[in-house]
Amino acid sequence: MFIINCPYCGERDQTEFSCGGEAHIERPKQPTELSDDQWAEYLFMRKNIKGVQFERWNHAHGCRKWFNMVRDTSNDKIQAVYKMGEKPPVK
Amino acid sequence: MLSFNPPIKEEKNYNDLKIVEIEPTIKINLRSNKREFSTKIGKILSILPPNEANTSSGNESYSLLWLSPDEWLIYSNNVNNTLDNQIELENNLFKEISKLNQGAVTNVSDHWVMINLKGSKIFDLLSKSCPFNFKDFKKKKGSVVQTVLNHVDVIMHNKDQNELNLFVRRSFSEDLWLWINDSARFL
Repeated sequence: MFIINCPYCGERDQTEFSCGGEAHIERPKQPTELSDDQWAEYLFMRKNIKGVQFERWNHAHGCRKWFNMVRDTSNDKIQAVYKMGEKPPVK
Repeated sequence: MLSFNPPIKEEKNYNDLKIVEIEPTIKINLRSNKREFSTKIGKILSILPPNEANTSSGNESYSLLWLSPDEWLIYSNNVNNTLDNQIELENNLFKEISKLNQGAVTNVSDHWVMINLKGSKIFDLLSKSCPFNFKDFKKKKGSVVQTVLNHVDVIMHNKDQNELNLFVRRSFSEDLWLWINDSARFL
């Protein structure tokens, strides 16, 4: 369990949130020109690394807004939280 | 009076804790991200929707709760509203907001059940199964929080010192009511 600072509501317990997986995955501009393998790569394949990862989160039991988070998956240390559409504050 | 069939039909008193369902009350959900929205609500209700997170505004007749940057909940403070009052308010809002594409107006009177909790031990009770930190919430009159209580989604509105209104979805209300009463016995 850890505390997440929702960009809209403030600090809340992690149990109020749900993780939406890896962030900043761009939808292919011409999906019809992709092979099945390339489409599957975009749709299903995620890095799921041990270390600093960019993720999408949803405050499901609060304001129900989506936002992005930079989290170290090995120790749940949150490096940054930023709204959808904003650029990541860390690289 | 509105013809509601309340799911909770009793009032409970425990050691310095009073729990009762307040019905009938009008509840209307508002969604909008347009600039003119606040002015329109101000004209209809004489209350401006709060822009600050986790806060509320209100007058004698209505309270307006912040739910998210583009969502608010109106509920009536007066249980003596007639069905005509409800229809009139909903129609006014619909005419000024939904019809002009300024946002969405949804009547959620039957969706939410409002439980009033009074007494010095309400936060002891809630802390038994709520991950939210009530430290600042209980000091600030008019605070609003959406969180989970015993795994059930709730909205809490701090009415006054040692008094809050708790909104729970109708289908979960009986379950939460039983949990509240069960937990209150051990305070």
